[in-house]
Amino acid sequence: MGDSAYSFSLTTFSRTGKLLQIEYALNAVANGRTSLGICAKDGVVIATDKKLSSTLVDLDQVSKIQKINEGSGFVYSGLGPDYRVLVRKARKSSQSYHLQYREHKPVSQLVKSTASVMQEYTQSGGVRPFGVSLLVAGVDADKSPRLYQVDPSGAYFAWKATAVGKNYINAKNFLEKRYQDDMELEDAIHTALLTLREGFEGEMTKDNIEVGVVSQADGKFRALTPDQIQDYLDETS
Amino acid sequence: MSRDSNYDHHISIFSPQGRLYQMEYAFKAASSASGLTGISLRGKDSCVVVTQKKVPDRLMDPQSVSHIFTITPQIGCLATGMIADCKAQIQRMRYEAADFQFKYGYGIPVHVLAKRIADIAQVNTQSASMRPLATVCMLVGVDDERGPQVFKVDCAGHYLPFFGTASGAKEQEAMNYLEKKVEEMKDYDADQTVRTAIMCLGSVLGSDFRGSEVEVAMVEGKTGRFTVLTEEEIDAHLSFIADSDA
Repeated sequence: MGDSAYSFSLTTFSRTGKLLQIEYALNAVANGRTSLGICAKDGVVIATDKKLSSTLVDLDQVSKIQKINEGSGFVYSGLGPDYRVLVRKARKSSQSYHLQYREHKPVSQLVKSTASVMQEYTQSGGVRPFGVSLLVAGVDADKSPRLYQVDPSGAYFAWKATAVGKNYINAKNFLEKRYQDDMELEDAIHTALLTLREGFEGEMTKDNIEVGVVSQADGKFRALTPDQIQDYLDETS
Repeated sequence: MSRDSNYDHHISIFSPQGRLYQMEYAFKAASSASGLTGISLRGKDSCVVVTQKKVPDRLMDPQSVSHIFTITPQIGCLATGMIADCKAQIQRMRYEAADFQFKYGYGIPVHVLAKRIADIAQVNTQSASMRPLATVCMLVGVDDERGPQVFKVDCAGHYLPFFGTASGAKEQEAMNYLEKKVEEMKDYDADQTVRTAIMCLGSVLGSDFRGSEVEVAMVEGKTGRFTVLTEEEIDAHLSFIADSDA
């Protein structure tokens, strides 16, 4: 990537030892729409709001939550176009893993390779870091549910519950109060919806949020349909 | 040198607030460069694109001045912004569509082409060596499975499906006009779709126009081809609109 004319890194150290482009990329993430995730003892849930600029947008065909392989899914906060690049690379790497090993790429491996790509863009010539933080939900090879956050720097962390994007500090405080280690997936989904509602401008409906779940039982990631979301919304109110 | 953050205005790197100035400037160029407004709309089984036709000089051949392009016989595109950048993007779209047809043996669906072009546009916002193109494209076509589709692809690499949308100088006013009609638009037949698009343009420009001052193109039905309307056909619609207002 990058032209030979730009064979030098654009992300360089400042006098104080900081990589400013990465910090600025994190600011771009903090301006994005909120996303959050909760890791329960028997599954993982990720959720985000889907509000778009105009009622003219055909929301049915838009989704931020993307399945990467059978057992893993992504959601993001930040720049949408950058996210699509990462989704595509993650899907290709999953297929390539499957071609070689005839097994689904475990979520921890997927996170490592995606994070590695993000790190490359902080060091390669002629490119800027990705302006997204990813939340990755999956069930790992040892059948344990996992939630990871991957930042523009390429650093990744496993979380019990986390939020990124606008209002993430309030969301994380809310999650910290409500999280319990023995939480089940159904509780986690309810908590996720309540947390999302906290910072939501306007009325939260089945059509302006997205929820993705993966349960330990079947190890398959799926995005909930609006009707399924409505059922959960009815239960929480 | 890039840590000076004075370069964030020159190439595609982040500003301290996390913004991409080059991308924002590309948007500005795309809306104000040509001064034109473009509108696209979808009805029950057809989609339409409409834009102004401003021929800068009377000596110019009017047929060579157009912002509406055919990508495949089934897919058309209205490209607003700097015309040279528009043409470059259109050429790439035609290539991608032809390559898809060659590899897979069937015509590229609108949403696949929109995503492909959007992904290509995104590269210019992340790589310093090329600037983003100052174009906003609206792709229209009728999909086998999904019906009429309108996709807007912008300088940043965003692409979204719309019921109706606009780009260019009077984008916001046009979107406001369309938002009021969004529910009824879903049931419009071909003629209603065309007329609403023309009326929207007339409303935001605040003046009437003749058939030679607008370009209109549409795709009708699943087997429909992307066709550019002739001046006579446009005049017929304009008369119908004038009569129903009077």
